Amino acid sequence: MSSLAPTPATAEPQKRAKRPIPRQSKANRPLLYPLAAFRRGATLFLETLLWCIKPGALKRRRRQILEQLFVIGNKSVVFITVTLGVLGLISVFQVLVQVERILPDFSMIGPAFIQIMTREFAPTMAGLMIATRVGSGIAAEIGSMVVTEQVDALRMCNADPVDYLVMPRFVASVIQTTLLSIYGCVIGVASGFIAAGLFWNIPAGTFFNLQLVAYGDVVSGLMKAVAYGMAVPIVAAQAGLETSGGSEGVGTATTRAVVNASFSVVVLDFLLSGFSFLFLSKGPM
Amino acid sequence: MSVSIRDAGQEQLIVATGLYKSFGGEPILLDVGVEVFRGRILGIIGPGGVGKSLLMKMLAGLVEPDAGDVTVLGQSLQSLNASGLARVRDRMGFLFQNYALFDFMDVGQNIAFPLEQMGVPKAEITRRVAERLAEVELPGIERLFPNELAGGLKKRVALARATIAGAPILLYDDPTAGLDPVTSSKIFELIRRLHRPDGATVIVGHDIDRMVAVCDEWLLLHEGAVLFRGTTEEGRASSHEVLKTFFMETGMLGAAA
Ligand SMILES: Nc1ncnc2c1ncn2[C@@H]1O[C@H](COP(=O)(O)OP(=O)(O)OP(=O)(O)O)[C@@H](O)[C@H]1O
Ligand SMILES: [Mg+2]
Repeated sequence: MSSLAPTPATAEPQKRAKRPIPRQSKANRPLLYPLAAFRRGATLFLETLLWCIKPGALKRRRRQILEQLFVIGNKSVVFITVTLGVLGLISVFQVLVQVERILPDFSMIGPAFIQIMTREFAPTMAGLMIATRVGSGIAAEIGSMVVTEQVDALRMCNADPVDYLVMPRFVASVIQTTLLSIYGCVIGVASGFIAAGLFWNIPAGTFFNLQLVAYGDVVSGLMKAVAYGMAVPIVAAQAGLETSGGSEGVGTATTRAVVNASFSVVVLDFLLSGFSFLFLSKGPM
Repeated sequence: MSVSIRDAGQEQLIVATGLYKSFGGEPILLDVGVEVFRGRILGIIGPGGVGKSLLMKMLAGLVEPDAGDVTVLGQSLQSLNASGLARVRDRMGFLFQNYALFDFMDVGQNIAFPLEQMGVPKAEITRRVAERLAEVELPGIERLFPNELAGGLKKRVALARATIAGAPILLYDDPTAGLDPVTSSKIFELIRRLHRPDGATVIVGHDIDRMVAVCDEWLLLHEGAVLFRGTTEEGRASSHEVLKTFFMETGMLGAAA
């Protein structure tokens, strides 16, 4: 311990005291890394939710939320159009090639395709696109703010980085992922019909038939979209906020954000599909 | 004007004891103690990479030490919750070594930000921002963005943001790096003017010649520890080898001779 009294004028170097034992955290053990990271992510998620429900919070951050809505939409809409368009086209084509060999009747192709698009492909493909496009953007932005000490500067001005940086991206991402999933579903189904109509002459009335789409399918699809919309910005922001080590650190954080965000989309897809299978009604709309 | 720091009845605004910090097993700070008294200006000096910036961030609660405590205005930062820490930071201004200007805001918004966070009325913010920009000799650049500015200008904008709220405790990390001599002198002049007798100022710097005119006390960091702590006179009088070399190189002893 260095004494609090001023060092005498003929200053001899203060004796180096024996090293204090630093506080060690359990998270330093490699085996616990993923667990600890998950816990920090969960904490960040709860913090963000608290900022969202704080009275007046959404109004106060309205400008940033609108900005992020625009950024996320702008970044993803072309990607999602192309991805779901191509996916719709190819999957209907491939299915019809197979079905042609065993069934004389194509009347169920449209309804079945619309059902699987609604509850699975549209939200999950949109979620994966947003995980890469939006997740990398969020991690890079926040990460570079961390290494240039802008996040510290926010803290010094008593602006909580979660409130100021994470919350607007979170809200915008939930809204945009939901909207883009619905949009992606429409694009996917429409391009599916192009394949069906063009190559097999299936009439529009037969293809665009919602008889198989149950209430549970719609709920399942929306639930997934909202869940991905929540998970991606949190996982990406966490990677960004934990950036260390200069501009290479930002690269690492961005990669980690994309990997973790995509992974969480896949895991959530699995969990929510199971949930829907077990608990959601199969009744018609 | 300079009273010995040993005078009784001096109130410490910042006290740090036993600060230890390592990165990836490499210790940077070992058992560093700092105290800053009310009404005083402390200069922290030391070779590059010794951990001066790190120490400053610990004083502001931005970096948590592995061991040791920082007490600001009688509050231990480690034990404060977010709102307690916010109340302490309301009374602090921090100039970052690498500016840390918000690159998504223009200069005016950057400087206004601390005031906005405190809920100061808009008209007053605009007036105070213009005033402070004039004081750092950059009048009328509110609409420029940080990436349009050279390093020296960014530093002055960052200084304006750090001091706009009139906080009693001001921490400056290398306020004159990259500035020409004339501007440097003006900045130190401004720092002295902004220093409140009821507050405290800490300056990290390399420009010891100019800091001598401003600082009451010194803290020399060397190899992760405090090598010297005392007034300018005590520093000049010291016969310690490293201290002598360090001050000689930077001209402080020369000024005494
Ligand atoms: N977040 C961090 N992660 C890893 N190492 C760090 C971190 N912050 C500081 N360091 C290391 O701590 C040491 C001290 O850095 P610091 O910036 O405090 O030095 P300094 O005394 O301010 O130097 P300069 O005079 O050049 O400004 C450096 O070796 C740096 O690499
Ligand atoms: Mg430094």
